Amino acid sequence: MTSRTAREPRRFGVPSLSAMAGYLPLVIFVCLLGYLSVVSSNFLTFPTFDLILRQAVPTTIVCLGLSIVVMAGGDDVVSGGIDLSIPAVAVLAAAIIADQLTNHAASLAVALPLALMAALLVGAVNAMLVVRIGMTPLLATLSTSVAVVGIVKVVTSSRRINVDHPAVVWLRDGTIGGVSSGVVLTLVFFGVFFFIAHRTRWGLNLQAVGGSRDAAEVSGIPVSRFVALSFIIAGFAGGLAAMFILARGSGSTPGTEENLLLEMVLATFLGSAFSPRRVVTLWGAILGAVLVSALSIGFKSIGVNVFWTGCIKGALILIVVASASLSAKFDRRKTAI
Amino acid sequence: MSADPDILMLKGISKAFPGVQALEGATLCVAAGEVHGLVGENGAGKSTIIKIIAGVYDRDAGTMSIDGRHFDHVSPQGVHDAGVRFIHQELHLVPHFTVAESVFMGQEVTGKFGLKRKTMRLRAEAFLRDVLNTRISGDTLIRDLGIAERKLVQIARALIDDEAKIVVFDEPTAPLASSEIEQVFQAIRGLQERGIAMIYVSHYLGEITDICDRVTVFRNGRDVAVLDEVTEDSSDSIIRHMVGRDIEALYPEIHHKVGEPVLEVAGLGDGRKFFGVDLTVGKGELVGIAGLIGSGREELTDTIYGLNQPTTGTMTMDGVPNRFASPADAVGKGIVLVPRDRRHDGLVLDFTVADNINLASLEQVAVSILEDRSAAAKRAEKLAEQIDIRPRDPDAIARFLSGGNQQKVVLARWLATGAKLFILDEPTVGVDIGAKVEIYQLIEKLTAQGAGVIVSSSDPAELLGICDRIVVMLRGRVVANEAARSLTLDSLTALTTHSNPAEVLA
Repeated sequence: MTSRTAREPRRFGVPSLSAMAGYLPLVIFVCLLGYLSVVSSNFLTFPTFDLILRQAVPTTIVCLGLSIVVMAGGDDVVSGGIDLSIPAVAVLAAAIIADQLTNHAASLAVALPLALMAALLVGAVNAMLVVRIGMTPLLATLSTSVAVVGIVKVVTSSRRINVDHPAVVWLRDGTIGGVSSGVVLTLVFFGVFFFIAHRTRWGLNLQAVGGSRDAAEVSGIPVSRFVALSFIIAGFAGGLAAMFILARGSGSTPGTEENLLLEMVLATFLGSAFSPRRVVTLWGAILGAVLVSALSIGFKSIGVNVFWTGCIKGALILIVVASASLSAKFDRRKTAI
Repeated sequence: MSADPDILMLKGISKAFPGVQALEGATLCVAAGEVHGLVGENGAGKSTIIKIIAGVYDRDAGTMSIDGRHFDHVSPQGVHDAGVRFIHQELHLVPHFTVAESVFMGQEVTGKFGLKRKTMRLRAEAFLRDVLNTRISGDTLIRDLGIAERKLVQIARALIDDEAKIVVFDEPTAPLASSEIEQVFQAIRGLQERGIAMIYVSHYLGEITDICDRVTVFRNGRDVAVLDEVTEDSSDSIIRHMVGRDIEALYPEIHHKVGEPVLEVAGLGDGRKFFGVDLTVGKGELVGIAGLIGSGREELTDTIYGLNQPTTGTMTMDGVPNRFASPADAVGKGIVLVPRDRRHDGLVLDFTVADNINLASLEQVAVSILEDRSAAAKRAEKLAEQIDIRPRDPDAIARFLSGGNQQKVVLARWLATGAKLFILDEPTVGVDIGAKVEIYQLIEKLTAQGAGVIVSSSDPAELLGICDRIVVMLRGRVVANEAARSLTLDSLTALTTHSNPAEVLA
């Protein structure tokens, strides 16, 4: 061991390029919100805050589902886990509930299970496409999303269905301890998802599967089962979101899925900037959803054209996703063996 | 010592694959508390016997016993239950997991309220400290660890259940910097104190003589020697047993006239995989780059070719300082790289032979924008004939050719460009002996045309057979630059495996 040619050991202590790239979207968001609170006088008031939280409810719930899929599939934006069909599933479930309640005068006890079953079915189809057939999640869920939106149009004839069922009204206007009932229920769902994903063995294994499929496999974790389950859970989250979509819009409106998709992707990947490990987490997703909602409402309050808001959100998605890719690229360079 | 000190015994093991007798009556016995080196050249049967122990392959003949218990049939679960653990070359870790999460992956500790993170952290830290002789916080993320520490985490994960009796290490130090190796060795010594038997598979003979108590040498599917006492001086005798004396005479006569330098490289490094490399290739000269996989050979040739950018050093092409921004730039200036993985990088598998040959030199057969099909076909036909591609059909689809013929197509393509410098990375991997001879003859044609040629190869016999000069790389640095005729198979093997460079060169 005397004459071995030494190579300098590399230490990785310096704040890395990857970390900086990861935080970029967060910085941009904070700047935008700062700008809004300066320009709009009533932005930093309690009613606005309450509105932001209430508007964030459906997005948050679909984000929970997407986070689970990303955890199991890895956060590579192209080849990793993604489920673009959750918003479509949510809108489908909302349409089914609305159709049952309003057009068929069915009770909620019939409408809700029916909607959840449809949502789980789409999740199962996604799981099969990805795990059995081996499609890329991006393409598989894009296809099911388009198909599901088609089904919604068939069910509703592309028309709005008003819902005035007391449960929906309560979700919209009701409060629990002074806080909007939708927000409280969302926190409950979040708690359940959080415990499962971050406090149980199952959740840790789920993250291992997404972190490194090979590592999970050699550790004896049934990889395919986790991936499949993640899509089914995502479908379930879509179904859960349906009731809140109905509450927010007082009924089912065609086209709701577009904005929901935009906000879901934005919020989930933005959320990874909150995580010290720079990966998608449930905490990150919920904070991301609130930020995105704040932005939408802020723009509305200063009178920005809705279409421009869409443009800005699109650009933000680009920044978030690009910075995730950049961050991963730097990480790979750093950890390459 | 009792009559039967060996905890793992494999005797008379044979295993045949279609066309290859991988193992023929091989024996391997390992005692508790010893580090047992397993060495041999590529294809000697090391990995086959390891896979037989692991239950990946069934043996054709022979017996295997662990702790006195005979195994007629070996299943992966069965050997795991018997206390055998494998430390694979790949780390298989999740970069954004903590050390504790990684150690307990798949065997997490849970209580009534979910994961017991603190218990896991403390147990992981204790194991790393007490058994593997290293201090790592259980909360550190894997991506913030050095490679050696990651290796220790991988070892801890395999052994944390405290039921391991036999541990098989496959090239545990291959990705490590020299300064990190000692950390892994300390861990191995820690395991040794606990009476765990270890099999240590490595190409680095210097490490084998450092850490191993006994060594079994494999050659051609047999155990040709067992060294019961291993000292620093053992590497000579290990190499003698590894190499044997049976090199076929398949190399052409060398009579190169070496002219002016085509390529001069000085102090080239990428800051990660190779450092301060000096290299000169003359017109008509064939320079070999020897080194184990991971020695930095690949990265060096990739960098010369413009696939990666160097961080230090200079390159001079035909006397003009140059650095290639991209492979397209390199090709434009007369450098050609024939990649090791021709299926992925070298060939468009679904193109015909003719189209593949013309791919690199379209501009020579293109009339303005349009390709001149008939001229292209003629050229390809001529080249295919010249290099003797079988079947001699320019319209054959590349995918269906044999490995040797695929390699010839790739070479033919570049032959046609009349480049000044050829870099061939593992040109004969996976081709049969007949095709090898033809590829060597093709390489001879390149040098005869006055081109400089670099052959990067992990086969020392091949380099000795065809090269004028051989540059030896070890862990990213050039450790020797010698005329091929002044080297022998033993001395070249000693250099690449780092058994003792000072002695070999003296």
